[in-house]
Amino acid sequence: MTLHDFTDLRLDDLDRDGALRQAADDLEPTSRAGFLTIVAGGAAAAAALVRPSIASAALARTDVAILNYALTLEYLQDAFYTEAERKGALSGPTARLAGVVGAVERAHVKALRDVLGKQAVKRPFFDFRGVTEDPAGFTRTAVAFEDLGTAAYKGQAHRIKSPEVLAAAVGIHSVEARHAAWIRYIAGVPPAAEPFDQPKTVKETLQLVRATRFVVARPRTRSKRRPRFTG
Amino acid sequence: MPDRVSVRVPDPAAALRAAVSDEDTTSRERFLQRAIVAGGALVAGGVIIGGLPRLAASAQSPEQDVEIFNFALLLEYTQAAFYNETVERAELTGELFEFAKVVANHERAHVDYLLEALGAEAREEPVTDFGNATSDPDAFGAAAVTLEDVAVAAYNGQAANLTSGALQAAATIISVDARHAAWVRSIIGEPPAADAVDAPLTAEEATARLDETGFLQEARR
Repeated sequence: MTLHDFTDLRLDDLDRDGALRQAADDLEPTSRAGFLTIVAGGAAAAAALVRPSIASAALARTDVAILNYALTLEYLQDAFYTEAERKGALSGPTARLAGVVGAVERAHVKALRDVLGKQAVKRPFFDFRGVTEDPAGFTRTAVAFEDLGTAAYKGQAHRIKSPEVLAAAVGIHSVEARHAAWIRYIAGVPPAAEPFDQPKTVKETLQLVRATRFVVARPRTRSKRRPRFTG
Repeated sequence: MPDRVSVRVPDPAAALRAAVSDEDTTSRERFLQRAIVAGGALVAGGVIIGGLPRLAASAQSPEQDVEIFNFALLLEYTQAAFYNETVERAELTGELFEFAKVVANHERAHVDYLLEALGAEAREEPVTDFGNATSDPDAFGAAAVTLEDVAVAAYNGQAANLTSGALQAAATIISVDARHAAWVRSIIGEPPAADAVDAPLTAEEATARLDETGFLQEARR
């Protein structure tokens, strides 16, 4: 099984209000070009980050950018596990993992949104293309998401200025690594394959997210019911 | 670009605790239980290890990086000795033994990395006695969980005290120890990730937890 095999996937729109594009520009100017190809229709409201809200005015601009980057990844995980739990197609240890990890990822989203206040990026729209209903697809995707979350936090932690934000980020970073090992154990692949975990840059992370095609420009559904997991 | 301003930054840790209590009361209860256990260890422990650096939140500096890396080296030395002895005794079987073999190599690599980073400043290897924890499955599982969880919490507790470069390096180790913790917890049927955020330990708290195991006979600088 190739755990990072997302070659059949691609992203349409990650950034509903343009705020994440601004965040990536703050973090890694070189990744902006790649970002612009990701963003389909979100040019309108890039000002959200530039006008600091009262609630999070104390945060350094780069800390806001890092927190919004983290929030985007947590939105992705939150929606994935929550949908998997509600679809009810998983069983046994995998179902238990989805329930526990889903609650944790929702807690991460809430915490990051609380800290960011009005500066929080909006929740993107997702279409998981059936992987939340297919145990093998769920497991493969969960491994990739948790490894990616770990590597993405690792890539930014040392750049965080606020000690309080850093304390939360490293505490989340190691929990993401625990999730990765847990789902890998269930999947029968090595929970800790290497003695050192390598970080991923914003650019590398966004390329992987884009490749999934799980983030879409607008709510889509194949059923007659309204989409449930859209911001 | 403003660096720090005088307005108080919102406390993400408090926000996380509030969020966790909204989402999942059981994990919050576990969090509180853990805090109580950690508090008890703090009172009971801290006797054997005399020469540990005093690590308080203070300005980052290369000198402080050395102290913190030496503290990390003590944790990694202990883990490496623990798994190495387990592999040499070869009394465990199955998943636990496979885990011990893989993780022994990882911890040795962590020790080697820290030794290289510290050079002449590196502390000596501690004298250890693991009793039956390197041969009895139950004792091994419990000890491995403690050693890995304490290492993660101790590293996390020092993150803000490290310079940016040192934190970057430490982070490549922290998540691997977290993976080990979740792995052995999976094998023995403990929750691999009990909390929404891993609570940090201060150096004193981590030392006390390590002290409580009785594994360290001596730890000299």
